[in-house]
Amino acid sequence: MPVWHNKTKDWVAAGKLVVLGITQEQHPDRCRLFAQWQNFDWPILWDPINILESTAVPIIIAIDEHGIVRSTHPRPETLEAEFLNVAFLPDAVGEAITNSNNAAQQPTRPDIAALQQQAQQEKTAGAQLEFADAAILWGGTTEVTTAIDAYSNALIQAPDDGGALFRRGVAYRIRYDSERRQPDDFQKAVLSWEQALDKNPNQYIWRRRIQQYGPRLEKPYSFYDWVEQARKEIVARGETPVTLIVDPQGAELARPALAFAVAPEEVKSPDPAGRIQRDTDGLIVPEIILVPSRVRPGGSTRVHIALAPNSELRAHWNNESEPLVLWVECPDGWKVSQSRHVVAPLDGQPTSDETRRIDFEVQIPHDAKGSIQLQVFALYNVCEDKDGVCQYLRQDLLIPIQVNSEPQ
Amino acid sequence: MQLMGRLNHFRSIGRGISWFSTIVLLASVATVVADDYAPQVGSSHVAFTLPAIDDGRPVSLAQFRGKKVLLIQFASW
Repeated sequence: MPVWHNKTKDWVAAGKLVVLGITQEQHPDRCRLFAQWQNFDWPILWDPINILESTAVPIIIAIDEHGIVRSTHPRPETLEAEFLNVAFLPDAVGEAITNSNNAAQQPTRPDIAALQQQAQQEKTAGAQLEFADAAILWGGTTEVTTAIDAYSNALIQAPDDGGALFRRGVAYRIRYDSERRQPDDFQKAVLSWEQALDKNPNQYIWRRRIQQYGPRLEKPYSFYDWVEQARKEIVARGETPVTLIVDPQGAELARPALAFAVAPEEVKSPDPAGRIQRDTDGLIVPEIILVPSRVRPGGSTRVHIALAPNSELRAHWNNESEPLVLWVECPDGWKVSQSRHVVAPLDGQPTSDETRRIDFEVQIPHDAKGSIQLQVFALYNVCEDKDGVCQYLRQDLLIPIQVNSEPQ
Repeated sequence: MQLMGRLNHFRSIGRGISWFSTIVLLASVATVVADDYAPQVGSSHVAFTLPAIDDGRPVSLAQFRGKKVLLIQFASW
């Protein structure tokens, strides 16, 4: 058991201490799974937009009974003597708050509708941000689009506000993970985060949000490779693991690398002559996201490809034939982490309509300039209900990559 | 725990194995910019109200007034 967790359990049980957690990550359900795995029994709060403006995690602060910070680097060995057993005196403000009617009252949610009205009336950046923050924290996915609009309105007046840029990126990604997803939400999230980081390159929390989806060369660690182990251990002790809204995959599981890694594979293009019939009706709709969106010469980017059956055409995957194959051409001077990707169909279902996701990395040449292109194609079995036709089709994807030639 | 093997890694700290060494290490890495979170010993901690991850209920620092609080900001990665 973690050192701090053991220590705090005894103190919490004795009524000497309250442990309060704040998680700085995009997906609260993942933190719930982590807390379940680690048996954290203290309240954990969600701060995806980094409203506290923390620049790093973890941060542990000891706050006394008057709301005053007593240590910014507490140690388990000395916490009891130096903090828990000390009767601190309040300052004037702390005493006033402690003695006021506001002390220890149950908190309430903000009135989002009132904040929205205020933002519409005042039209100031501050009012827009206050409404947008409340919408994201308290409004669920219902309010995410209005939050995005409010952040954008605030940025018109304050275009250099890195915090607003970061929060808008968080909002785009929340919408991307929801039933309200719009085209380009993920790429817009990445662009907003990159713009935020341009304003403050030292913002570790903002940087981590990009690295979560980015290439292995820029990862400090694997972000969510613990999920599988956590689920196994939770099941082994007879519990049901917290269900994740979106399972981490690809980039979020990838381990960091010191050099660009190319998978050892001896494969050939599955359709070198381009003989497979093209998906001219758009039965499968592609979405392409690059993280980072601009690549330095000689640098790498993580390419995320999502392929979704066209709901308007009532298209769906045919799972009773060849699986989806994605082929990545490797031009001269480039490196591709893996050329051939196979996505297995869902077990036991003859048809399905889930979005299938693949991500991989490319490293561009050192002399790359301007806009360069990567050629990819997908082969798949797809059916549509309109005429009841099932076909084996090919879709070509030409991925533009912008080379970032700005000096670092 | 299997995670004990990662004591020297940022992420193992973030997973609640050992907070202390990572805090010291991160204190030397993080650069505080104006308006960034910078709690000062002897000053009131900034007020906040945030949703709980389990049921979304509002939880504030102020509601724990009268009690000693250990505030832990972290991430599962």
